[in-house]
Amino acid sequence: MTALGTENANSSVTPGESPADMEIAAPAAVPVESSTDALRADRASGTRRELGRSNLVPILFLVPAGIGILLFVLLPAVLSLVASFFTVPLAGGPWTWVGLANFERVLTDPAVLKAIGNTLVYSAITIVPSLAIGLALALLANSVGRGRPFVRTALFLPMTANLVAMAVVFRWLFAFQGGFVNQLLGVAGIGAVNWLGDTNTSLLTVALVGIWRSASFSMMIFFAGLATVPGTIHEATKAEGIRGFTKLTRITLPIMKPTVVFATVLAILSSVQVFDTVNVMTQGGPQGSTETVLTMSWKLGFSYFDLGAASALSFLLLVVLVGIGLLQRRILSGGHK
Amino acid sequence: MIRALRAVKWLLIAVAVVVALFPFYWMLRTALAPADDVFFDGISLVPTSIDFANFARAWDKAQLGDAIVTGVIMTGSILVLQLITCIPAAYVLAKVRIRGVGIALAIVIGCLLVPVQVTLIPTFIGINVAGLGDSLPGLILPSMTSAFGIFLLRQQMMSIPDSLMEAARTDGLGHVRTLTNVVIPMAGPGIAAFSVFSVFTHWNDYMWPLLIARSPDLATPPLALAIFQQGDIGFDYSALAAGAAIVTAPVVILFLVAQRRFVQGMSGAEIPG
Repeated sequence: MTALGTENANSSVTPGESPADMEIAAPAAVPVESSTDALRADRASGTRRELGRSNLVPILFLVPAGIGILLFVLLPAVLSLVASFFTVPLAGGPWTWVGLANFERVLTDPAVLKAIGNTLVYSAITIVPSLAIGLALALLANSVGRGRPFVRTALFLPMTANLVAMAVVFRWLFAFQGGFVNQLLGVAGIGAVNWLGDTNTSLLTVALVGIWRSASFSMMIFFAGLATVPGTIHEATKAEGIRGFTKLTRITLPIMKPTVVFATVLAILSSVQVFDTVNVMTQGGPQGSTETVLTMSWKLGFSYFDLGAASALSFLLLVVLVGIGLLQRRILSGGHK
Repeated sequence: MIRALRAVKWLLIAVAVVVALFPFYWMLRTALAPADDVFFDGISLVPTSIDFANFARAWDKAQLGDAIVTGVIMTGSILVLQLITCIPAAYVLAKVRIRGVGIALAIVIGCLLVPVQVTLIPTFIGINVAGLGDSLPGLILPSMTSAFGIFLLRQQMMSIPDSLMEAARTDGLGHVRTLTNVVIPMAGPGIAAFSVFSVFTHWNDYMWPLLIARSPDLATPPLALAIFQQGDIGFDYSALAAGAAIVTAPVVILFLVAQRRFVQGMSGAEIPG
């Protein structure tokens, strides 16, 4: 769970957060202090200990957030783990211990396996494209001189869109009869495709909406990250004659590593949690071709009232995510530590 | 050669802008055209005439007026609760050195990684057992705090120089006044960015209201729109598009107003590698 590291908690100035970087990261927030001042304050750690005399107020500051996190994240997560070993009546009442039966039930149910497979396919066709497109768009929008505010605003808009409203619009765009996409294909002399009604294209069509939105979200994160690359770096690379793809892979991306990690984590999370678009556009159909882990655990829990099985499926997903988190950390820190 | 590259660049930007904006345009175009203009042959990018009847039909039949009131109350309450819970916690995690802060931060980052379905069912049962199912508090309470908010604000507050905290202490300010007089004004961009993010997230949220709001009066805007779509209105694309436009407009307008601060404030959000 601590896969993303917490080194910053114990030292106030870490390599990634030298005073120079801070000024760039939050330009409006920080009046320029000389870095020696900041360092001197940092060495005077005695002040911290004195502050520490009155620990009551800081602890009280943590309490409201602590209650929320305890009640609505930690406790439910633990209960979810426990519930995966029981049968749980939705209306309340005693739980019955069933051991690993829920996991067995989930992992042998063809519909669930299909949902897991669909989620893997959906993730594969959305995560990498939306990150790549997001990065490309951020670089493009950054390089635009005139018209930059317009380009930026236009490319940010999909991120703000209400997914239910957009799912309604995309369902209409991809409608078999009268939909804009099929009309366009008709003009080009290509026959109409039953985008959402055909098991071969339904998942892809839902994924297109996902890419449309996540690419915009990734772009926003990369755009904010690019702004933190110091101007001196651009001058230095220019003087050295490094540019184009080499500059991107050797200079810009390594500097932006925290941004890349953040964007990747969010892209993975939003892909494995796809729900709104599926629920509005296809409801998992046709023939389960767009069923995902989340819509499946929803159905297990709230349509079939099998809360134990739904919990088991959720728990398996959490294990996979933590695994990915650890793996990603190992891969990313490999070259640097 | 350079001219050709520049042309390619502009072409790519043009394609991206068109793809990004087209669904919004198509939504408005469908919503503004007369209802019988929906099914036509070929491609007609502009409607034959402008007609607001679709908006009236969507507003009435999807009960969007009630939904917007519910949505505003829910989104506003969640925002206030999250600011009250997140700002002090972020301050402690960023600027106060007491034992256990490292662990608290690790827990917050861990919570960022917990997918919603893991907490969904126990939270649903808990809310029902507490008698809050199908109620406004039931919609609001589970979002009373936000791990993402604590994390984002903490990252922003990290960039406040320690010398300033030192100065506040020398002036005899306690934690409460340091927070209200020094930290909150300086973390402004982060607080603004998180507020916009919170409003987006909860205005747009569909899954939790779908579970909790069983009676129609409690439907939030996306839920009202989804119910509208799944009802017998399913093929009245003009009314659906009008409803989608009504639900989409508030967040788009908010974003257009707050855009600059939002992007600025999000730049502190990277997870330390």
